[in-house]
Order: sequence, then C-alpha cells, then structure tokens
Amino acid sequence: MKLYKLIIGLSMGCAVSLTACKDIIEIEPEYQRAGSSKGFSTLNEHEFALTGAYALFRASGYYGNGTHNTGAWAALPDMMADDLVQTVEDFGNWNTQANWTYAADEADIELSWVAAYSVIAQANLTLRNIEQFEATNPKRVNRIKGQALAIRAMVHFDLLRFWGESYERTATALGVPYKTTVDVEDLPERLSVKETYDHIFDDLEEAELLLADVDNVMNTATNRAYIDQTATHALLARVHLYAKDYEAAENFASRVIAVIPLANQAGFSGIWQDIYPANAEVIWKVTHSAGEGNVGLGIHIGSANRNLFRPATHLEATFNKPNDIRFVSYFGSRESSSNAPVYPGGSGAPGNRRIVTKYLGRGTTLDNLTDWKVLRTGEMYLIRAEARAKQGGAKLVAALADLNALRAARIRNYVPVVIGDEQALLEAIALERRKELFAEGHRWFDLKRSMRAISRPDVEVASASVTLTPAAREWAWPIPQGEIDVNPNIVQTTGYR
Amino acid sequence: MRKILLLHLVLLLCLYQQAMAQGRTITGTVTEQATAKGLPGVSVLIKGTTSGTSTDSDGQFRLSLPVAQANENLTLIFSLIGMASQEVVVGGRNLLQISLAPDSRQLSEVVVTGYTTQIRREVTGSVATVVGEEVSLTPNGSFEQALQGRAPGMLVQANSGQPGATASVLIRGRGSVLGGTQPLFILDGVEISATDFSTLNPADFETYTVLKDAISTSQYGSRGANGVVVITSKKGVAGATRLQYNVQYGFSTLPENRLRVMNTEEKLAYEMANGNPYRWSADDIARLSNINTNWEKVLFRTGVTKNHSLTASGGNDKTTYILSGSVFDQEGTVRNTGLQRYTGRANVESTAGNFTFGLNSTFGYSEFTNTYEATTSINVPLNAIRWTNPYETPFDEEGNYTQTRAGQPNALELINENTALRQQLKGVGNIYLEYQVPALPGLSFRTNWGGDYTSNESNVLLDPSTAPGRGVPGGRGQLTRGYNRFFRYTGTTSASYLHQFGTDHSLRVSLFNEIIKGAGRSFGFTGYGLGGPFENEAGITPGTATNDFIPAVNGDGTSHALLSYFAMAHYGFKNRYYISLTGRRDGSSRFGLNNKWANFGSVGVSWVVSDEAFMENLSSLFNELKVKTSYGSSGNQAGIGDFQSMELYGRSVYNGVSGLQQLQLPNPDLQWERRTTFNAGIELATWQGRVRASIEYYNSRTTNLFLNRQLSRTTGFSDLISNIGALQNQGVEYALDADLIRTKDFSWSANLNFTYNQNKIKRLVGEGDNDIVNGVYINREGESLNSFYVVRYAGVNPDNGNAQYLNLNNEVTETYSPTDRVLVGSAEVPFFGGFGTTLRYKGFEVNTLFSFVQGNKIYNEDRTNVENPWFVGDNLAAVLLNEWREPGQVTNIPRPTQAMRTGTTRFLEAGDFLRWRNLMVSYTLPQHLTQVVRLRQVTVFAQGQNLATFTKFQGFDPEMATPELTGARSRVPGQLAGAQYPALRTITFGLSVGL
Repeated sequence: MKLYKLIIGLSMGCAVSLTACKDIIEIEPEYQRAGSSKGFSTLNEHEFALTGAYALFRASGYYGNGTHNTGAWAALPDMMADDLVQTVEDFGNWNTQANWTYAADEADIELSWVAAYSVIAQANLTLRNIEQFEATNPKRVNRIKGQALAIRAMVHFDLLRFWGESYERTATALGVPYKTTVDVEDLPERLSVKETYDHIFDDLEEAELLLADVDNVMNTATNRAYIDQTATHALLARVHLYAKDYEAAENFASRVIAVIPLANQAGFSGIWQDIYPANAEVIWKVTHSAGEGNVGLGIHIGSANRNLFRPATHLEATFNKPNDIRFVSYFGSRESSSNAPVYPGGSGAPGNRRIVTKYLGRGTTLDNLTDWKVLRTGEMYLIRAEARAKQGGAKLVAALADLNALRAARIRNYVPVVIGDEQALLEAIALERRKELFAEGHRWFDLKRSMRAISRPDVEVASASVTLTPAAREWAWPIPQGEIDVNPNIVQTTGYR
Repeated sequence: MRKILLLHLVLLLCLYQQAMAQGRTITGTVTEQATAKGLPGVSVLIKGTTSGTSTDSDGQFRLSLPVAQANENLTLIFSLIGMASQEVVVGGRNLLQISLAPDSRQLSEVVVTGYTTQIRREVTGSVATVVGEEVSLTPNGSFEQALQGRAPGMLVQANSGQPGATASVLIRGRGSVLGGTQPLFILDGVEISATDFSTLNPADFETYTVLKDAISTSQYGSRGANGVVVITSKKGVAGATRLQYNVQYGFSTLPENRLRVMNTEEKLAYEMANGNPYRWSADDIARLSNINTNWEKVLFRTGVTKNHSLTASGGNDKTTYILSGSVFDQEGTVRNTGLQRYTGRANVESTAGNFTFGLNSTFGYSEFTNTYEATTSINVPLNAIRWTNPYETPFDEEGNYTQTRAGQPNALELINENTALRQQLKGVGNIYLEYQVPALPGLSFRTNWGGDYTSNESNVLLDPSTAPGRGVPGGRGQLTRGYNRFFRYTGTTSASYLHQFGTDHSLRVSLFNEIIKGAGRSFGFTGYGLGGPFENEAGITPGTATNDFIPAVNGDGTSHALLSYFAMAHYGFKNRYYISLTGRRDGSSRFGLNNKWANFGSVGVSWVVSDEAFMENLSSLFNELKVKTSYGSSGNQAGIGDFQSMELYGRSVYNGVSGLQQLQLPNPDLQWERRTTFNAGIELATWQGRVRASIEYYNSRTTNLFLNRQLSRTTGFSDLISNIGALQNQGVEYALDADLIRTKDFSWSANLNFTYNQNKIKRLVGEGDNDIVNGVYINREGESLNSFYVVRYAGVNPDNGNAQYLNLNNEVTETYSPTDRVLVGSAEVPFFGGFGTTLRYKGFEVNTLFSFVQGNKIYNEDRTNVENPWFVGDNLAAVLLNEWREPGQVTNIPRPTQAMRTGTTRFLEAGDFLRWRNLMVSYTLPQHLTQVVRLRQVTVFAQGQNLATFTKFQGFDPEMATPELTGARSRVPGQLAGAQYPALRTITFGLSVGL
C-alpha cells in the first residue's frame, strides 16, 4: 500500500518537474541583444546600429592598430610611400606592406578587407527596413539614413583606393564589390571601377540630400565626430578629385571652405593634440576615448620611445623651418632613453633622432591617444587648388590663390608667390600636399593617382625596398586568399592570379 | 528552479514517513591477515550503493541496516588502500570476522565510476585510478599537475611554472578543433571548473578516477566526450578522533636554460660586426665591457614553499566526519610571484534508519601574484631578460632603475613596480540524501545537489614610472580592478533497483534526472592618473575633458544550462559475464532551436576468463584474465559561446554614446559534437598476482565537429561556427605493475604506463583543397591536427651567405616561396607515459616517477626573435655569432643583411623529453618508538619535483605555456611564443604526524 502511494507520488513529481525543467535550458542573453532575421523593430535600434558603425572605424585594420598590423587607412599609406622611413627600431610587423612584398595570403591585407566590409555591414544593418519609420519620423530617419549612406559610400571608396586597379571614372578595370544588402550567403563579384564609382556617388548624393533636412544639429564646433552634410561635401570633393571631375571637386571643396575656415596659426598645433576648443578646421574625425585604442602607434610609440618610422630627410628639407608652423607641429627630436623628453621641431635637442610628433597624445602626454582626423580644411584647399589648376585657363589664378592662402595660414611672414606655368603650379600644389598632409594617410594614394612610381631617396634598413615601377602589380592590393577560396564569383587582382 | 527543489522536498518529506520501520545491526572486526591486528579506516560498503561505514581505530565497525537492505542478498565490500578488497555475503549473520591481505589482485579493487562504485571485475569500460595518497604530498599549486605520467591515456602538460597555474589535460588525444578538449572534472558528484584548481587542497582527495571510453563516460554523456576525471574527497573514519598533521618546507629553483643569449663581450663584438647601430666610440666600448649583467639572475630567485595541513576524523557507526585545514605558500622563481592558499573542509555522513544524509564541503581562499608570459610584447619581464643587452645594469649610479639605451624595459623595474594580484574565493560542496525503500528491498532513491562557486578579485597596477605605465591613457599609470564570480550547480536525482536472482544473476537498473546550470557575472574598472601619494584606488585622478584620465568601467555576464534524463543498467551472470547499457537524452541551452536535444547511448561487456573451468589448468599462469569491450557515444558542448547559435548584438560606444554592434551571426542548426568510441581491452595478473598488466585499444571518432564555415569576407565576417568535419583518435594504452620483491621487511615494486595515440582529420569543410592553414599550422584531411606546414630550411650557401631552402622537388634553392611548404610533423603528442618504482625497507621508502613525451614538434617562436639579426639593437642568441661573414664560411646561420624568414624548419624543434618528475624518500618511525610519545605515526620525508629534464629543446622547458597570466587553457598547441615561465624545480622536506 505504502509502496503504491510512493510510486504514484514519484511519478507525479517527475511529471510536474519535467515541464518545469524544460524551461531551464531556455536562456536569453542579458548582456547582449539577440537579433532577428527581420531586422530592428524600433528607430532607436537603427540609431544604436549607426553608433556601432562609427565605432568600427576604430577597429584594428581600419584606423586602429593591432599587435601585428597598423591602421590601413591611417598611417600605413605613408609608410608604404617615400616620406616615412622604416628604422632599425621597427619590429618589422608590417614589413610586407611597407616594402611591397605582399601576396594574396597576406594576413594584414585580409584584416583590412574584413574591417572595411564590417563597417559596411553595420551600415547596411542600420539601413535595413528603416523606411518603415519615414512617415512617422522623417527628419530623424534622414539623419540616420544619411549618415549610414555616407559611411557606406566612403568605406567603399577607401576599398577602391587600395584594391582598385584604376581611379579613372569610366575605367572597366577591376573595382570592388559594392554591398547594399544584409545576406551572409552573398558571394558578390567585383564591379568595374566605373560601376563602383556609380554606387559611391549615388550613395553620397542621396546622403547629401537627406542630411540637408535633419531633426537636430549633429556636430558642435569643438567636436565634429559625425558625418554631417558638410562632411559629405568634403567626401564628395575628395572622390570627385580622384575621379577627375574637377569642377565638381572644386564646387564641393568651396562649400566646405565657406563653412569651416582654416585654423589660425595660433590654433594649428592644437589640432594634433585635440586641444579644445581650438580643434579648428577639422571637418570629421573619429574620436578615441581612453581604452578605445590608439592612433599613430605604428610610427612612434610615445610611452616606450620606440621610433618605428621616422620622417624622411628630404621631406624635412622642404620646410621653411623657422617660420612654417607645420614643422614644429609635425616633427621633433627625442633621445632614445625610454623617458627622454620630446623637443618639438628639434631645436636644442641633443642628438639627431627624428620623430613624428603628430600622434603622440593630447596635451603633453605621450600615450598616442588622439582622435583620428579624417577630413580637414587644409585638404579642401589642396583639392580646390588642384582641381582649379587642372581646369586651367582662368582658374589657374584661383588655384594659385588657394595655394598662397594655405601657405599664408601656415607660414609666418609669408610672401605670396606667383607661378604662371600650369605644370609648375601643379607640382607646387603636389609638394604642398605632401607637406600639409604628411602621415595622414594620403601619400600612397596620391602617388597611385599621379605618377604611379616610387623611388625612395632615404632608406635606413638594409633590406628595405627602394623602387616601385608603374607596371608593378603592388599598386593594387590582392583580394585576400580567404575571399578567393570561398567566393567563386570574385576575380583576383591582375598580377596575383 | 524553486519549483523543482520544492517538489523534491515534498517528495522526501513524504518518503520520511516510511523510515520508521526497523532494520538490523551488523557488527564485526577487520584485521590484517599477517599480524591479526585490527585495521582502522577500512571502508565497509553495502554493495551496489555508496552507503556504509568504516572501521574505527581498533578495526571494529557497526553498521545499522535499514529494513530495505536487510535481506539475504546483502553483500558487504571491505576495502582499504593497499589491501585486497573482499566481498562478503552476510546471510543471516550479525557478527563478522574479516581479515584482509595485501593487494595482489587488481580485479578486486573498488573503482569509483561516477555515480556508483564497482568492483573492478565488473567494470566493462576503460577506467584508470590514481590513489590520492600517491600525490597528496607533492608541492603543486594545482593538483592535476601531479597526475602527469600516472594514468595511461591521460596527457598532462604543464602550461606554466607559475605557482597555481593549471595544466592542459587531454584524455586519449585532442578530439575537437574549436570545441573544448579538457576532460570534465567531477568532485563528489559536482562539476568543478577546469580552469582553477589551485584553491582546492589535493590532500583532501581520496581517489582520482579517469573515465575514458563511452560506457564509462556515458553517465556524463552530454559533457563526457573528452573523458571524465572523477575525484572523491576523503570520508571520515569511525572511532576516536584521529589527527594527522603534515608540514613541508622547501625551495624552488630555475631549471636549466638551453637558449643562451650573448654576454657583453659577444654582444659588443656582434654590434661592431653589424654596423655599430648605437655608434659606440672606443671609450664607450671600454666602459661597457666592464659590465656583464646576467638578466636571468636579476629576475629569478630561489622561491620558498611552505605547506601545512591538519586533518581530524572520527565518529561512530551512525555518523562520521572529517575536518581539514591547510595553508600552502609557494613563492615562484620569478621575483614577486607566488601563490598563497588557505583551505578548509568538512565532510559529514550520517545514517538514520533508511536514510543516509551527507555533506561534503570545502572552501578556500587564494592569492596569486603573477607575471605575463607567452606573449611577444616588449613590456614583459620574462621577455626583457632575453632581449635586454648584457651591458645594461638594473640600476644606474644614482641607484635609480636604468632606462636602457635600446628602449627595452628594465625587467627588475617592471616586476618590482607593477603588480598583478588575484584573490580567489572558492567553495565546492554537495549534500545528498539517500533513502532505501523498506517495502521493496534493493530499491533506493538518492538526490545529490551541489555547487561550485568561484569569485576572483583582481588588482593590476601599472606604475607611472614604468614604460607600460606611461603607455596608458594620460600616460600616468593605471589601476585595473576586476571582480567576477561564477556559480554552477549540479542536481542529480535517481532511483536505483538492485536485485540478485538466485546465485547467478545480478541486476542493477537506475534512472536519472540531472540539471546543471551555471551563471557568471563580472565587473571592473580601470582608473588612470596615478603617481600621487597612493598606489590604490585613492590614487586615481578623476577624469576631465582634457586629461585623458576618464576611467573605463565594464560589466558582463552569461549563463547556460543542461538538462538530462538517462537510464543505466548493469547485469552480471555467474559473477563473470557482465553487460552494461546506458541511454540518455540531453538538452543544452547553447544550441540552435532546431537541435537543442540529442540522444547518446553506449554498451559494454566484460568476461572474467580466468574464472572459467577450462582455465583451471592455466590458473597458475593467469591468476586473473579479463577481456572487455565497449562502444558508444557522448557529446561535447564546451568551448563555444553560451549563445553561439543566436544572432547577437553587443554594446558599442562611439564618441561617448552607446550603441549596438553585430557580434555574431545566427546558426539555428548548431548542435552537439559527438564522439563515438570503440574500446577493447585485456587485464591480466600473473606470478601469484604480483605482475599485473592491462592493454587497451581504442578508436574514437568525433563527428559534427565544430568548424568555421568560411563566408565571403564582404559580409564583414570571416566564418560561422557550424557542425562540419570529422576527426579520429585511435591508440593503444599499456600499463604494467610488478611487485618484484615482497617480503615482510623489504619490498620493491615498479610500474610503467604508456600511450600511443594517432590523431587524424577525417573530413573538413568543403570539397577539394580544403586545408585550413593558420600561420605555421595546417589542418588537412588525412593528417594529424595542428600539423606544421613550413618550408624546409637547408642551411646557408657558403659562397654568398644566403639562406637556402628545399623546394617541392627536394632541390636546394635560395628563393623562399610559401608554395614550397610541406608537412613536417605535428604539435599533437603521439607517444607519452610514465614509469616509476618504489622500494620499502622496514620504515624506509623510496618512491620515484619519470614521465616522458615523444614524437611531437614545437615551433620555437622565441628563437625567431633572438635569432633575428634585424634586432641587432637588442640582445640576441649566442648562436648568431656563427653567422655567415665571408665567402667559403660553412655555417647554419645566414648573412645578417638578408631578411629572415620565420616559417621554416629552422625554428621547428622536437618536443621529446624525459623528466624526472618526482622523488620521495621517507622514513616512518617504528611503532614502539612512536607509542612512547603517544603518537600513532611519525614519518619524515624529503622530496624533489622536476629534478632533471632530458631534452634538446632550446628553451627553459619543452612543456608549453598559455598566452594569459595563468589559468587559460586556450593555448596554441606546440608553440613557444615568447616569454616562458619555466616549471619549478622544487625540493621540500617534511614531517607527517598522526595522533
């Protein structure tokens, strides 16, 4: 009798506890958010995702530094060119890129490819189904959608800068895949350069329209962390310059210059130390707070005093050292003991160990923690000067005026020059560009879009490569082997097949 | 959960009403056969259960039996370590006289097989046992290190010599690529985290049982794919309270270093020959030549180890207890590193009528001070000792830390000024309640609930005066404080029925329900701007918009759960034919909606051949002969994220605003890895049981292997974890024990075990060329996991000093090309084992153990830095003095002006080693002496750990390290990457007193 009761009790106990138990393995994450294949259900989530896209610019492989790679769109384009010189102190971690020995299996190149497309994927997640809120909250949708489109266009353009086989607007040479949807099974093909440009301009132009009508002010004068309409104009100016649509480049540069003037001489050095509120002439920067990575670590590690890349002597020789405020802002001297002080410009310094001082840190700290300035007005003057000079004729005068205006802003007691010859003027603008935008991620691309040749007059390491010919395959990066292996639709860059 | 606990409580309350019925009481004495003296501490178990008692100090026991067990089939098992166990059918007797003889027959050994105990003859699976006593006195911070070389099939590789660091444990080969490969560790029925054992006191452990094949691990099926290590803690012994006190004191030193770096004379000569990078003048050279710093001596020291433990045990026939406390203090060989541990334990078991109630609990507190290793970062003391030039000194003339010319950090400054402290609090405990149903003898219910709680508080200080302290935001030092806690509970409820049909048939059937749930939380902060009067939280400078001192705060958490139902049956016929069956169904919170649940099962049979009539004539040759075989499956869900199957968005911050970032793509089809194992073995004893051997063959295949399915990188992701691929481990294990001499005063025994394991990848993702190449490693179908894939180095061309390689046609070439890479061995260890011997003469005992590993390769990345002439500014390996300098010179080191290639066999080395793991010399005072001072037992001992290592490996130690401070097991197999904290060579002296 008792046993009978027991068995009944036991089986009932089990039956009840079984259903309760089933719930035990149904666990939802608390510190992450589970996604859904349908996308986001609130406009707030779209805005959160946009923040995520901006944050990914700091990834190692984009502007950030990793243990074995340095920001591909930060200082690397200068390391790959002729104005930064690899020193014997360098760890050799990005040797293959700095010395053009990369092949399709280069891990750092794959890292940058993935880093760029992950920003794009995050932008596409931001854009997916955002139209559902257009009716109820049009201006906010404009603000979010405009930024996501501008980000998507800019990152594709950055991909084109490294991987594009040509920068010609109508070239049928290989460009890059243009991603506008969210689909993990997608195996896209490479578009032609022309088609890649088409998409970039479509997105930028739509972004420019949307950002004209937004729900609130996006940037403050002292902290321009978001791509607003002015930043979109700056991007359009840059892309049009590469695409050789000089009139458009000139117009967009003018629109930016009208809104954000050049820094005055007193405020210029503060740009590199993020000194507020003087962060003048910055159009868009990727902000870095403590713990969010560092920039410029691949050039000079301030805390350890490790000088991996130094400024080239031939570049420094072009500066009017006593008067050019860029000289003391960009260059310095430092002895090699670990807590040696930095001598900006180098006057009074013992020894002759030259360092780049642009990214040492904020104020006087040497922690390499600064914001990465993507777009600033100095570049806009150079774009406009080049675009005007290229158009020639009557615009040569305006081009010269731009050059003189920029120099007058940078050089004390500057006396304007007169250059009548178009070719001479273009060369003067190109040299000014080299000096002004030193170590800001332009030199490799400027060489690629102009003469397509490098001859390094100043090398320090015995095994450094010295010349790169116009025909070299290395002007366009190889598609990473991992992409080739998995994606049958993609075509390897010419020369790496 | 509350619901279930409540239900169990109600259930148990209503069961309690049944407990009033009367049983019977059995008493008796257990004596030692040779001396006829009472034997204390003999375990008296009711067969088929885990309940029973043990003898008191006079060898007497008293066992009150509930009615349920008081039947004519009642069998008691008497066992004591070192003695042959006996099974006694009680029948009608209430007074028993038992005498035990020294153990000579292995089949009578009692084996803890997880939820039950069995006599070895019944066991159908593959089980190895290590007796706790053998390893309890070894001065290891983490107990699993002491198991190295002691159990066939189990490969224990120390990751690090930092006190308290956990080792990597592999049972029968690496069975997963992305999933976890550590076995499941169970302490008294409760899963304990395999990443931290150092807050547990190994002296509390009675036995370690290693479960290796499918039928043995099937009771842990959802987690048993990598094998299971079942640990039982000591039980109390009835009788007057017995005290045991052990004390040890000793020293740790550095092992031999086989990678020599240059001294001052050599380094200066090298710099002169290679361009004088620092432009030393003749005066400089003269000045520097007077300095010759050995940076190893600067950083390392002789560490002191202290170990005290006190155990008290006692009780009566109804209730027994054991209490213990210990203090363990081990200094590392690197200055300012070490482990301090304090533990306590209380185990109580009580029987009342048909109920048995028990509690096992331990708590501990540890403080770890650590240093970084296994990283190629320059701000690491263990790297700095290799890379700092010998002409630098730790202190300058003013007594300040020297800032080196080359920019290398000062190793002594880093280790003295920066601290990495972790304080761990750990508690493991379980309670159980067992009820014998009086109405149906043989039927019992048991519920066991236990938890493993760990919390860690960390305190990492980077002093503003050091290079890493300058490299933080604000450049003025950093203090990182962190706290994490993890709690996992395991609840097992079972109903078992045990029955003996006549004399020939025995049957045990059990039904189980098991719930496991674990959850962890963490938070922490990093503050900046130190350098004021305080080096703690009070020293943090509040952040402003411009000083970069804004502190970073963080928090995280995760949880997972498992739910299992399973049934086990064991049937024995004529006491020599056995069959075991298990079937189970498991659900895991980690897997996709479509595949949360999976079924596993296994079957095993064994046959004691020597008991057959036809073997009678051979019984003098084969004292015992048993064959066994098993087949079955178990699962693996370790090593992947708790929410691996879901699409996840995580927090993302930009410009001081929080957002979301996609972290993980969804895979709703994600499911269990499944390891299916076939096992067959023979156990035999000969020479009157004095030689015992076993040999086993296994073949296990992992299917549904977690692998990364490659995606187009244009998705922003490289891959997605999916179940694709298959992997095979097959091998042979061999164990031999021999009592070579056995007389009253003198005995000599020896043991040997080894394992050969062959690892082979059966299937990877995709068709055709689907190799997974990762750095110098390749995973290729038909080859071992983690094979090395590099270009063969072919020395130096004497004419021009260029490095030479072999291409695919075995032709010597000076051109390095990745297309010439070939497979040249694997990081996986194919052959390993241990052997030892014990000599006893009266009270003297000498016991020693060797362990060995053979056939694996190690990629010595450390050498790619110190043999790279690129780093001429830092110190380099002495072998570079042989580099090619002039035509005709025959050498193996190329000219320094050529870029060095790292992915070649030049840096690949054999991982073979033979290690003299342990030597223990002890003397136990004769009883007539100890009795004078009223002591039960007095033993003095001396022991040495890692006394010698025989290897050609160029480094401190051929056992590899992790890329973490300590503790992580996710190391890259077979690679020495940068700094290594070598295993300690420890010599201790101790005293053991029983009262």
